[in-house]
Amino acid sequence: MDFSFTKKEEKFRSVLREWLEQNLPEGWLEGKTALPEDNREYSQFLRNWQKKLYEGGWAAIAWPKQYGGRDATLMEEIIYQQEMVRVKAPPLINYVGIHMVGPTLIQIGTEEQKHKYIEKMLTGEEVWCQGYSEPNAGSDLTAIKTTAVKDGERWIINGQKVWTSFGHLADKCFLLARTSNHEKRQKGITVFLVDMHQPGVETRPIIQMDGEHDFNEVYFNDAVAYDADIVGEIDEGWKVMITLLMHERTGIGAQLFTLEQQFGDFVELAKELQENGSPLIKDPLVRQKMVDLYTRNRGAQLNYYRNLTTTLKRGYPGAEGSMDKLLVSELTKEMFSYALTLHGHQGVLWKEDAIMDSSWQKNYLYSFGMTIGGGTSEIQRNTIAERILGLPKDMGR
Amino acid sequence: MDFSLSQEQEMFRSSVRKFLDGNGSTQIARDFIRGDGSSLEKALAGLAGLGCTAITIPEKYEGAELGSLDLVPVLEELGRAHLPGIYLETLAFSVPLIEKYGTEQQRQKYLPQIATGSRTVTLAWLEPKGGYHPNEVQTSASIEGTSLVINGTKSSVPEGETADTYLLLVRTSDGTDGEGLSLVLVDRDEIKVKTRKQKSFDETRMLAEVTFEKVIVSTDCVLGEINQGWSILQEGLLHINAALCSLMIGGMDRLVEMTAEYAKIRVQFGQPIGRFQAIKHRIADMKTDLETARSLSYYATWALETNAADREAAIFSARAFTTEAYIRIASHSIQIHGGIGFTEELDCQLYLKRARYYENYLGSIQHYREKAAVALNW
Repeated sequence: MDFSFTKKEEKFRSVLREWLEQNLPEGWLEGKTALPEDNREYSQFLRNWQKKLYEGGWAAIAWPKQYGGRDATLMEEIIYQQEMVRVKAPPLINYVGIHMVGPTLIQIGTEEQKHKYIEKMLTGEEVWCQGYSEPNAGSDLTAIKTTAVKDGERWIINGQKVWTSFGHLADKCFLLARTSNHEKRQKGITVFLVDMHQPGVETRPIIQMDGEHDFNEVYFNDAVAYDADIVGEIDEGWKVMITLLMHERTGIGAQLFTLEQQFGDFVELAKELQENGSPLIKDPLVRQKMVDLYTRNRGAQLNYYRNLTTTLKRGYPGAEGSMDKLLVSELTKEMFSYALTLHGHQGVLWKEDAIMDSSWQKNYLYSFGMTIGGGTSEIQRNTIAERILGLPKDMGR
Repeated sequence: MDFSLSQEQEMFRSSVRKFLDGNGSTQIARDFIRGDGSSLEKALAGLAGLGCTAITIPEKYEGAELGSLDLVPVLEELGRAHLPGIYLETLAFSVPLIEKYGTEQQRQKYLPQIATGSRTVTLAWLEPKGGYHPNEVQTSASIEGTSLVINGTKSSVPEGETADTYLLLVRTSDGTDGEGLSLVLVDRDEIKVKTRKQKSFDETRMLAEVTFEKVIVSTDCVLGEINQGWSILQEGLLHINAALCSLMIGGMDRLVEMTAEYAKIRVQFGQPIGRFQAIKHRIADMKTDLETARSLSYYATWALETNAADREAAIFSARAFTTEAYIRIASHSIQIHGGIGFTEELDCQLYLKRARYYENYLGSIQHYREKAAVALNW
């Protein structure tokens, strides 16, 4: 058992740290971390940030060197996430491109696709989104109804996508469309690389319960793609999607490191908030609940390191990741819920009237999305029971 | 970064499991409950033969001189097989304390015998009317020359009628909050005590009330400095609670395994019940609790072994979580097994009763959470 990092890993960390100190947007480390409200300014700010990352060689560390990456090891990716969380770095606007679509194209894309997309993905010139969920295909993604029909040289795409992150900022879409119908519904789905700036594509915002706009509905009305835009084989898009998911190696890690940081803030909150002149953290009942949350938070972090060890030894990740996802999302929700409870009746005051930092209210509301997006907690439990413990699948799956 | 037990540790686990499975696993406990201790005797002797009792004892005293982490797989297997006995008190409380605080004479006397499995040591702390608070220790030991004269009654002493040695918490002078307490090593065959068996609903735990009436032992029997017993005990609590987590995790692991297997083969409404999400999701939660407890416990023992700065918070919080999770998992396992889970025939009830025994053993869940809060400087 050994929790230390190698010299090479520590060196990697200090080089990154130094780079961040010199290159984060001005005033960022002093707490000037507000992002522009206006969509265009927001997009430009984040594109500039990604360009800076690219110039420093920090945009896509896991990619092979020949494509502009660093051939980073899994541990270096973890360290990268830890450091980004530590400085609360601006979000990566092309997360989908860097962590998912890019490595997938590098692995199984055509030379033409690599040539056309990879570099612009890296620089932030072209931002990507994913077209997966639909109004009637959420947890059951095989139920997608968006179709792509061959018409001469062209594929004509029709249908509606929903919960498309970055859709309103994106230039390209990694789209799942049905190209044929089979008894086994995973078959007959094809992946297309679709241009978002064409007449047949329309994006509409979804406003979440926290008032933010992270997601979109995307409508395809006779949108066009070509054979050259297909990733992998026709009708075999499901396999492409699995390939893609295997590349997103550290997303849950980043969430866990964020939770760890937020828990530190949560402890400070309980020290600052008072009842009858005494800090809430001195209240025996509050302490009990907080130690319980602390313990489960630690447990989730430690589970992650234990699963990481398994992944490193085995060479690929297993279903244990479902446990990490279940825990980090449920715990985040529970911690923010209790943080609001500690606020007392004034916990409902928010925005400029919030008695503490108004991110407590915002994050509480946002946390409801965490147990839904990226596979609901119910789906994670299915995976744990079926893939780890070998219980039978539901009828119909 | 390597957060796992080593290959050697896992291999040792396999040999212990193979041995215990070969000897009937939980059947040993069932024989014991029926009053037949022969299979337990055989199992304990076999475990000693495998070297389980010598793991953390220095080579100088005929041990293997390994660390606390090497004890983890063994304790998990003992917990899985639900083996009766006071190996926890002997190996994870008395051994580290005798090693650290014992005189050379005490080490030479106790450690080699513990290593070979020929001596067990229990912890005599609680008293009939008291809890675990130091102010409630009334059993006294007065110093008369080179002798200690012990008077008082200890309650719920694990194997109080059969343990070879009592590690006895006594009051040697007046004081509050731990002042004036001492730990004394008292060999049962050298004194006369009155014992009364106490029935525990965990029938694998043989508890007894032990009464000391003018029992005279030498002051050489004091472990560490006189009147410093309470702080010595705190060090022992770190060891025993980390080890207790491993023991419980062994039981939890078996419960999750049994329950998942049952849900695959039990058919109702024409399908295995494990297909229903009401069952499936509960089992997934049991598994998640188990793995969380395991991570916490591995880290706690690692922190103990490496003397990490956060060892107290790690151990106390792991102890609180694991105790609670054990009860939860055992209860769910009974429910998921349905009618058969409610019977004496299935092992679920054995584990549940043990979980309830450990719930408040050496302190409650609330007590350990509060200790963790203090350790975190909250």
